[in-house]
Amino acid sequence: MIRTIVNDKQLLFGILGLIFLLLVAVLAPVIAPEDPYYYGPDVLNKLGENGHLLGTNKMGQDIFSMIIHGTRTSLKVAVISAFISGILGMLIGGVAGYFGGQVDRAISEFINIFMMLPTFFLILLIIALFGNSIYNVMVVIGITTWPSNAKLMRAQALSLRERTFVKAATAMGESRLQILFKYIIPNGVFPVIANTTVGMSNAILTEAGLSFLGLGDPNIISWGQMIYDGKAYLTSAWWIATFAGIAIVITVTIFYLLGDGLNHVMNPKRSKGKGV
Amino acid sequence: MKRYLFKRLLTGLLTIVIAFVINFLIINLAPGDPIKTLMGKESDDPVLRAALEEKYGLNKPLHIQFFSYLKTAMRGDLGISIIYNRPVADMIAEKLPATILLVLTSGVLSLIIGTAMGIVAARKEGTFIDVLFSGFSYILNSMPSFWLGLMLIIIFSTVLNILPTYGMTDARASYTGMAYVLDVIKHMILPVGTLVLIEIPMYYRIAKSSVLQVTNEDYILTLRATGMSEKKIFNKYIFRNAILPTVTIFGISLAYLITGVSLIETVFAWPGTGRLVLTAINQRDYPTLIGIYLIMSVSIAVVMIVVDIVYAILDPRIRY
Repeated sequence: MIRTIVNDKQLLFGILGLIFLLLVAVLAPVIAPEDPYYYGPDVLNKLGENGHLLGTNKMGQDIFSMIIHGTRTSLKVAVISAFISGILGMLIGGVAGYFGGQVDRAISEFINIFMMLPTFFLILLIIALFGNSIYNVMVVIGITTWPSNAKLMRAQALSLRERTFVKAATAMGESRLQILFKYIIPNGVFPVIANTTVGMSNAILTEAGLSFLGLGDPNIISWGQMIYDGKAYLTSAWWIATFAGIAIVITVTIFYLLGDGLNHVMNPKRSKGKGV
Repeated sequence: MKRYLFKRLLTGLLTIVIAFVINFLIINLAPGDPIKTLMGKESDDPVLRAALEEKYGLNKPLHIQFFSYLKTAMRGDLGISIIYNRPVADMIAEKLPATILLVLTSGVLSLIIGTAMGIVAARKEGTFIDVLFSGFSYILNSMPSFWLGLMLIIIFSTVLNILPTYGMTDARASYTGMAYVLDVIKHMILPVGTLVLIEIPMYYRIAKSSVLQVTNEDYILTLRATGMSEKKIFNKYIFRNAILPTVTIFGISLAYLITGVSLIETVFAWPGTGRLVLTAINQRDYPTLIGIYLIMSVSIAVVMIVVDIVYAILDPRIRY
């Protein structure tokens, strides 16, 4: 186990990065020098001015503290939306692949159609119409991004249902639903987990994009919103947008590394010849 | 081939129909009651309500309402913007050329640059160039496009002061002819550059892995055994086969660009549909938003099908 992790550099850095992110999120109040919601008297301070490591914004909030606390929002969005998308994909794809026949044909066609629809804009539309609380954002990202997970799970279920142990279970008289939940999904879940990790990166980028269009939740601190706020001060206070963006790049890279690493380890067949 | 074509066209048509259904559902489920808006806040006369519902067909069952919506939308009537009081279709048609200019330019450029980088990296696998390109593509892949745009503004406009950051033309000068074209190109550099940088990783990954894959095929080994020069093997066999998957990616990338460009247009105040999206969001102009979503869905479906068909013509092995 440990040897596999150390041998795969992407997985190693991904896991180390994830531990780092989790520590930052958990210890946010300890690490952050100031309350990120505190509107101080130091308005638009430069880097290091008055002890503000990364400066302040127009409301006098400390940028460094905001970035530390923003980790919580990003991780929350990533985990919850990816979880919803993973569960939906697993169930829909599992049913399609295992049941086969007409059910499979209908669901596959539905997946193909869904994959052709512009997801980001659909999310944008729903958030604009139904309100921009962060929970809406998470749920909507979750229920619009399941098709790629479903596709993977379907392929797994298609091959698993031909295996001897599944046939044995059928012969033993176990019901189809029992087999689906006891054998098909647990054995086919690994590619979905890897893909879900990549989905977390996309969820973070989507949330940031929504915030940048002014559809973020105004009651929380998120990196996307910091960039949105910083846009107006690009020439006079470049630090507001810049460092929040760097935080996004680092976090998203960590999840990509983790996803690619998991992919190598869980699908040893694909590791060869796969670029990047 | 015919069967495949037919199947793809059917999927495409279904996609468009589903896009209409989603649109219709969103309009209907969205909070707010149009009759209430029409009647005004104070009055609540049941007779007036019934009359208005009758007039707009809102008392009919949902599926009948859907078909009448479909009929109007098919005629190109996407409703009236509640802010500008103009047909949404006209507003979109006005802004579309500027968006298409951005999308196509950056789509083609990223195809060429990304694929070239992927091929070079695959040919020199494991060398410094490969590691450099791969790292570069990894980081670019993790970047929010709009943030990259802002950073390019800081570098090229605030610090170096060599490129314009706002709009499509210089508002203070009224150029004509060649000078106008040059002015537009100058304004395009930053937005197109941002989009190209964001799109490069997609082509890079596919080009690199497909060149590596083709290089490991048995027939390449056979060609090597015959003593054919590496250069000839690459130009005649590897390149042609490895380039094919990028065609599919071109379709996906264009589809992504059609929606992703909104963010970039917002950053650079490019007068395209993205700006329309932003103002529609800020002013809660829902008919416009919904109309844009519909146009996007339909154009993406069309692009994807065209790309699939082109791919099937180029590569006779591909059938689903």
